[in-house]
Amino acid sequence: MAEQVEELVNLTIDGRPVSVPKGSVVWAAARKLGIEIPIYCYHPKMDPLGACRMCFVQVEKMPKLATACTTQVAEGMVVITDSPQVKKARQGTLEFLLINHPLDCPICDKGGECDLQDFTLRYGPGASRFDLSKRHFQKPIPVNEQILLDRERCIACQRCVRFCQDVAMEDGLVMQERGFRTEVGVEPSAPFDSIFSGNVVEMCPVGALTAKSYRFVARPWELKRGATVCGQCAVGCNVLADVRVDKLLRQYSRTNDDIDDGFLCDRGRWNTDLANSPERLRQPLIRRDGKLQSATWDEAIALVARSLGEIAQRDGGEAVGGIGSTHTTNEEAYLFQKLLRVGLGTNNVDHFHGRFPQGDNDAQPWVWSDSIAGLERASHIVLLGADPYLRQPIIDLRIRKAIRRGARVWVVSPAANRLDRLAAGAIRYQAGQVGAVARALLQVTLSERLTRGAFAEQRQASLAERLAGLADATPEAVSAAAGCDAEALRTLAREIAGAKGAVILYDEMATREATGETLAADALDLALLTDNFGRAGAGVGPLLEDNNSLGARDMGLLPGSLPGYRAVDDEQARAELSAAWGVRTPEAAGLDYDAMLAGGVKALYVLGANPATHLSEEGRAALAGLEFLVVQDLFLTETAKLAAVVLPAVSYTEKDGTFTNTERCVQVVRKAMLELPGARADWQILRDVANALGLGWTYSNSAQILAEIGRTTPIYAGVSRHGLGQTGARWPLAPGATEADGQRTLSGSPFLTWEMLAQGVAKGRGSDQLALSAGRGEQA
Amino acid sequence: MADSTETQTERAPLPLGPNPRFITENFEVPGIDQIEVYRAHGGYEALAKALKSFQPDELVEEVKKSGLRGRGGAGFATGLKWSFLPKESPKPRYLCVNGDESEPGTFKDRMIMEVSPHLLVEGVIIASYATKVHHAFIYVRGELLKAGLQVERAVREAVEAGFIGKDILGSGFDLAITVHHGAGAYICGEESALLESLEGKRGYPRLKPPFPAVVGLYSGPTVINNVETLAALPAIARYGADAYAAYGTEKSKGTRVYCLSGHVNRPGNYEAPLGLSLRTLIEDLGGGMRDGRAVKAIIPGGSSSPMLGADKLDLPLDYEAVAAAGSMLGSAGVIVVDDQTCIVGATLRMSEFYRDESCGKCTPCREGTFWLVQLVERLEAGEGRESDIDLLLDICDNMFGKCFCPLGDAATSCIVSSIKLFRDEYIHHVREHACLVGPGATRAHATAEAHAR
Ligand SMILES: Cc1cc2nc3c(=O)[nH]c(=O)nc-3n(C[C@H](O)[C@H](O)[C@H](O)COP(=O)(O)O)c2cc1C
Ligand code: SF4
Ligand code: SF4
Ligand code: FES
Repeated sequence: MAEQVEELVNLTIDGRPVSVPKGSVVWAAARKLGIEIPIYCYHPKMDPLGACRMCFVQVEKMPKLATACTTQVAEGMVVITDSPQVKKARQGTLEFLLINHPLDCPICDKGGECDLQDFTLRYGPGASRFDLSKRHFQKPIPVNEQILLDRERCIACQRCVRFCQDVAMEDGLVMQERGFRTEVGVEPSAPFDSIFSGNVVEMCPVGALTAKSYRFVARPWELKRGATVCGQCAVGCNVLADVRVDKLLRQYSRTNDDIDDGFLCDRGRWNTDLANSPERLRQPLIRRDGKLQSATWDEAIALVARSLGEIAQRDGGEAVGGIGSTHTTNEEAYLFQKLLRVGLGTNNVDHFHGRFPQGDNDAQPWVWSDSIAGLERASHIVLLGADPYLRQPIIDLRIRKAIRRGARVWVVSPAANRLDRLAAGAIRYQAGQVGAVARALLQVTLSERLTRGAFAEQRQASLAERLAGLADATPEAVSAAAGCDAEALRTLAREIAGAKGAVILYDEMATREATGETLAADALDLALLTDNFGRAGAGVGPLLEDNNSLGARDMGLLPGSLPGYRAVDDEQARAELSAAWGVRTPEAAGLDYDAMLAGGVKALYVLGANPATHLSEEGRAALAGLEFLVVQDLFLTETAKLAAVVLPAVSYTEKDGTFTNTERCVQVVRKAMLELPGARADWQILRDVANALGLGWTYSNSAQILAEIGRTTPIYAGVSRHGLGQTGARWPLAPGATEADGQRTLSGSPFLTWEMLAQGVAKGRGSDQLALSAGRGEQA
Repeated sequence: MADSTETQTERAPLPLGPNPRFITENFEVPGIDQIEVYRAHGGYEALAKALKSFQPDELVEEVKKSGLRGRGGAGFATGLKWSFLPKESPKPRYLCVNGDESEPGTFKDRMIMEVSPHLLVEGVIIASYATKVHHAFIYVRGELLKAGLQVERAVREAVEAGFIGKDILGSGFDLAITVHHGAGAYICGEESALLESLEGKRGYPRLKPPFPAVVGLYSGPTVINNVETLAALPAIARYGADAYAAYGTEKSKGTRVYCLSGHVNRPGNYEAPLGLSLRTLIEDLGGGMRDGRAVKAIIPGGSSSPMLGADKLDLPLDYEAVAAAGSMLGSAGVIVVDDQTCIVGATLRMSEFYRDESCGKCTPCREGTFWLVQLVERLEAGEGRESDIDLLLDICDNMFGKCFCPLGDAATSCIVSSIKLFRDEYIHHVREHACLVGPGATRAHATAEAHAR
């Protein structure tokens, strides 16, 4: 990206020179030098407020002390952070804050990670001169289901209130009363019902806001803080998984500006069930006498290998299949398809996913071409059947930030959406009609000749054909069928076509709605033909279902695709893989998810998936009637209950690996706690099954598997845990700089261009094939 | 504070006699609050003249030339303030009239709005024309219900008479005026908190910069002026800048409405040229001290201004002289304190005001005022310690210059100045457990009060 070079400003702080971008505040410049300036009200992700008066510094030529959080840097500025005046002012502020602060630190959950405690120790007066009566409030009162407020501890920094109002832009905490009676509260008519509520607990500098689930449970210094990635949805927020002994207590933010912007949703923050649930499986189970009974790992692994191996031997690899997971790591997804393709000789491997058109038997990367951070640059954001507030919450939060920067958001959804209130337009359609709506948008674009850009110009010839294919999708026709306003559809199509940059996002699962079959292709064409593609702040793609939905696809959990979207019959890919894997993979595409479950196989290996919930009574009976069903999971799921063997796996906080989020960002997952005794990481189980099948896999850690992915999967070329660093990289990956110690970093691609899709990313595809694919009626 | 007036070398002859009343001229006329009566006395003629004889920019220059300075407290040059508005702006620009008058000891704006609301309205229209504003807001302190209703009625009458609306008096100038009643917070008199309040938010002052002239009401460029400031405009338009500037002192031009209160025989509003001496105000206009007592202290510019001792009686009341004496002319709310007043008690009363009116946004003001009151309370009750006195000063030092807005600084004025002038009286409270003067001067009284608390 050709970024405009930021103008730098030079100043000195405590005699040390520093250069920071114009517009920075003194606090940020000091931080860059590693000089701490204590703050309470300031929060780097929010506008300065200047209220707490903690961050005083002395600036040469300024008559009064300045607040570092509100003072912008200027060329030649001379700042002093430790003069006697500064010290006295900071002591003064701390003394003021403490006169009404209760001395209940010994029982306060914040103790140990409290800025009031810490700054008092570092900058405060040793003793208070206040010997009068403190202000009192009733001890904690609930502000919502999860959070309690202790008003006596509140220092009125307004971080929480500003988060609700300015960042989440929702009802919630407000300031009430005034002066020394000031308190934080909630208006009964505007309850604090927000999926982002937990952020206020994390950003509260004191113990005023505490999480019910964490109260009196642990001391911060007892926590082991695992720097990992949240595994609860496709956003992949960076977290510190806080573990006390063997329990995951909470996740706190480990700010990644490009993904989570420093915030988490309540699901990620507080849903600890995956790790802590008493329902977790603690030993392998084998069905004996019709009942699942405890077994040893050796017995279970041997039985799985023997059963799968025998059926594949007897009836051919086609008789065996695997349904993989959208939750497990890339390494595990990779090993799973390798086990099936190499160990059992079948391409019968798939996972539960949206409907994405496939051309010429060739899997394609149906993926968001831009990034979460790119949303901030969009002039328009169009949500088609997507509800990120509920499904990818932190993306919803980023959309709100884009709105603050002027983006016009259109919510096209079957039901009311939390973004409606802030949207430029909302279009409601009857459930199931999302595909029809997308077709209508494309129809308007083509019939009103709104296409623009080189992509469309080069394809003038096929546009008429494409339009002809949309004859039944006039706004009037669609509005009659879908119950939405025809004029609104026209307006939206025109806005997209006229946008400086539009990002069009649909929910992966909306493609499974009745008319969703061509949704992905129609949305892609809409973006390509209106030149909303191939740059930051313009693009299209699905908002995926789970934390590693994309990784599952990337790794080849698809019947027609090898790792990295190379077709199963791609000769070059097969040759390369046979060199790496020692075996030639089958050439014919395998059975897909539905076909495998509809009796296409005799033995099924289900890993981290629960297909029984998608099946009818008969379907479940068929599953139970399989010759052999093995399920590998954390819990005894509906599917596991039907299995012959159940293998207990561990959750994401208990293992190493990588996840790939919905915007192609490959990130390092780090083990934050010991495995639940008796359970094992999926990659270990897969390795053991492979070895029981005689494959001789020697992986002793997930990094070795990742290195192999880097050798076999072009879009992940050269991938390594070190190279992904703290913040990950978006595929296609390319080698970055070589560091002093010889380690190589990786560089990613913040957005995909049409050329990348056509040439590099999905190799061997003619450049006309992907676009307009729906028009040619190619479906998988 | 910047000042735009040029230094005048020779004084012009007084064109309107020694005691012109630019503002209160017709205040005794019965029914002057009615538009017909107001017009019968020349009302809205200044507006007609302004619209006819001046281009907006010329009017700004005229106001600069008049030397008019803000009457709300800070005394900023009005014409200069107007000229800070950007020439062009994508957002609409606004004029906000500060009628929140809540400074203890100040009651001039209330009188103007109650007695002659059309004078204010006429001034608002002239100012809007000069600043090219098409929507003005008049923010009236909520408790001043009568004033608010009077202004509302005056606006209605002026609309009906064609002084407000489209193409005013055929000038092509359009203006709408909205009257807003405040909800009871002193801080909403601070200009940026006033804007927040007008926008329907909590009355918290805003971070500056950006200043309201650039980013003000609804993010548009905004001028904020005090009621009295604007009420002076019709006279300036009518008599000319030179006539106005002929009065007052070198840098403090024109007249002010002094709000005289306290222990004088005739408290009230008195319009007189700037530079009037305190003694003249108290003795001649105010009829001298009540019960023939002596002056103990004077608070010259509302409770936010530091008090002065009786030695300052010959001080001319203009911005510069009062500042040189260590206080501020502020809102010209002159509070006179007699020698039978317990200064600690008076300070307590004022401190309570600031504690209760602190908006609570910033730490030093929110917590400092809370602490100060408790300490002064303890001293006043005769239960304090001598070290409390220096503690008070140190708390004030930790507040002064460190608060978010001037209210916090103002809260320290009465404490610091009273200790400076009357430390002995504080010490007396500590040592004798009683007041030095006043009803609390007997030990029994003080102790009883202390025990009652
Ligand atoms: C705490 C505080 C309260 C104030 N209250 C008033 C007020 O009630 N009326 C007023 O005109 N100005 C008040 N001011 C001054 C205003 O902020 C502002 O300076 C004034 O309205 C500008 O008008 P002027 O230039 O015409 O004086 C107050 C300032 C502060 C800091
Ligand atoms: S509750 Fe916490 S975050 Fe909110 S204002 Fe009080 S101290 Fe600040
Ligand atoms: S000094 Fe601070 S607390 Fe006091 S009124 Fe101003 S902003 Fe509010
Ligand atoms: S951190 Fe700067 S004033 Fe609060």
